[in-house]
Amino acid sequence: MKIEQCSFRYEDKFSLLNGESIEGFELVYETYGELNAEKNNAVLVCHAFSGSHHAAGVDPTTDKPGWWHEFIGPGKAIDTDKYFVVSPNNLGSCYGSTGPLTVNNVTGKPYGSSFPALDVYDWVASQDLLRENLGVKAWEMVLGGSLGGMQALEWSISFSGKIKKAGIIAATALVSSQNIALNQVAREIIRKDIAFENGDYLLANKKPKDGLKVARMLGHITYLSETNFKNRFGRKLQDAENKIDENIDFEVENYLRYQGEKFSEYFDANSYILLTKVMDTFNPAARFNNNIVEALKNCIAKLLILSFDDDWLFPTQYSKELHLAAIKAGVHSSFIELSGQHGHDSFLFTSDDYTSAISNFLNHA
Amino acid sequence: MHKNIEREILNLISSGAKVLDLGSGDGALLAKLAEKNIEGHGVEIDSKRLIVSLSKGVSVTQKDIDRGLSEFNNLGFDFVVMANSIQCLRRPHEALNNIFEIANECAVTIPNFGFWKIRLKLLKGVMPVSKSLPAKWYETKNIHLCTIKDFEELCFEKKITIKKKFYFNENYMPLNSVLISRANLFAAEAVYHLEKQ
Repeated sequence: MKIEQCSFRYEDKFSLLNGESIEGFELVYETYGELNAEKNNAVLVCHAFSGSHHAAGVDPTTDKPGWWHEFIGPGKAIDTDKYFVVSPNNLGSCYGSTGPLTVNNVTGKPYGSSFPALDVYDWVASQDLLRENLGVKAWEMVLGGSLGGMQALEWSISFSGKIKKAGIIAATALVSSQNIALNQVAREIIRKDIAFENGDYLLANKKPKDGLKVARMLGHITYLSETNFKNRFGRKLQDAENKIDENIDFEVENYLRYQGEKFSEYFDANSYILLTKVMDTFNPAARFNNNIVEALKNCIAKLLILSFDDDWLFPTQYSKELHLAAIKAGVHSSFIELSGQHGHDSFLFTSDDYTSAISNFLNHA
Repeated sequence: MHKNIEREILNLISSGAKVLDLGSGDGALLAKLAEKNIEGHGVEIDSKRLIVSLSKGVSVTQKDIDRGLSEFNNLGFDFVVMANSIQCLRRPHEALNNIFEIANECAVTIPNFGFWKIRLKLLKGVMPVSKSLPAKWYETKNIHLCTIKDFEELCFEKKITIKKKFYFNENYMPLNSVLISRANLFAAEAVYHLEKQ
């Protein structure tokens, strides 16, 4: 499989949905497979909240496989012998695309907490500029899970003619107040970190790792299911030599601490706050009097809406409601609830049904 | 579904109709409708079959028909198909009510439990296994089997007009004119074109 690590620079002023703007941006992205001569085999893969552009293949420096490595490749659900897959890192994230870590040319300092609030629409608009730059008339398919699925939904509403199919997986048209509540706790934990310095920790040469760590631990609980916790950890006690500290009794405690620790090393606190806000405020129907059916009347793409039975963060009901709104709007839409083993995170794990659903839809819809 | 039964159903649907297929299985009928440029949508409970449907390019909803169908009311469907599914439902009579909230016309097919070979099996004291009813009693999804007489009586009670009916023998050939009058004994399957009075 041909893998390329690329960067797209947009030099002009980029207006955001909320009326603010940034002076150009950079999107880092990876591509898998090759764009054909007709440029009609391009598939856009959108990452979830804390994901990156590294969706497939194995990173030569870190040895890490991409987050959808099992789905993208020769003979896989998204077959790179046939399709050219593009996977960008979103604006506001911290893996190389323009975000809070980027130096603002106007001030000469990193944006930090002054980075403007973004909407999923802004991500999609920036991805659309990338599409144009690649010379692709329309994506054969845009797909992703969770916040990635919300991007696929935004694409099908706001950039309808530029996409033929969308895969909206473990996602929703509106997050619930429970989702917002959980994100709010995470944001508060980060803001209360002494090293956060009101978001200006970069200038103070500090890194608010403790807040990020606990925020991730909370997040991680919501990404899994009760059954998943039970099967993986049960009430097993942590062996003494691998304990992170002496306050730990159970394996699950150690696991969460380890996950939080690891995450706080590489993720940026301002990005965490910014990206959870993007999720909370996502409302593709806002410009259509909050009527999702009206919004979906713009959609000419075919939709595949998938949910997982053990996802309690974005439960099946959300996907079902979105699908029915699509049907009401006259959209060619299919909805299937799949059996999951990993709660909300099920969208990251292959199963025969899941991969067949994606490949059948991609190849035949 | 046998192609002879499929053909009769397709003949009932006029071009330009919007069709809801209840119990759409692997999407075969929807694919045929699409070939004729007829807009269709399937409802099916089984994920595996739904996933196969996706390979036919058709659109489907995962749903248990017994949980009601009101979300499909007033969506502009002109015709509902329920082929070889009604006997799998917990409340078939309610499903019939629901169908006419969705569209004015429908096609329903049933395996006839009054077919003579089935009666013979019962006379022998065993549950019938046949071409139309291939599963053993403990594996079957068919929980509300009926005869042609039963079904037509239900339609009468519910004031549903049977516009057309087609009876088939066990080889899916139409019953000849002599046997039609004794269809409840000689038909293995029946296809009905129904309309609400």
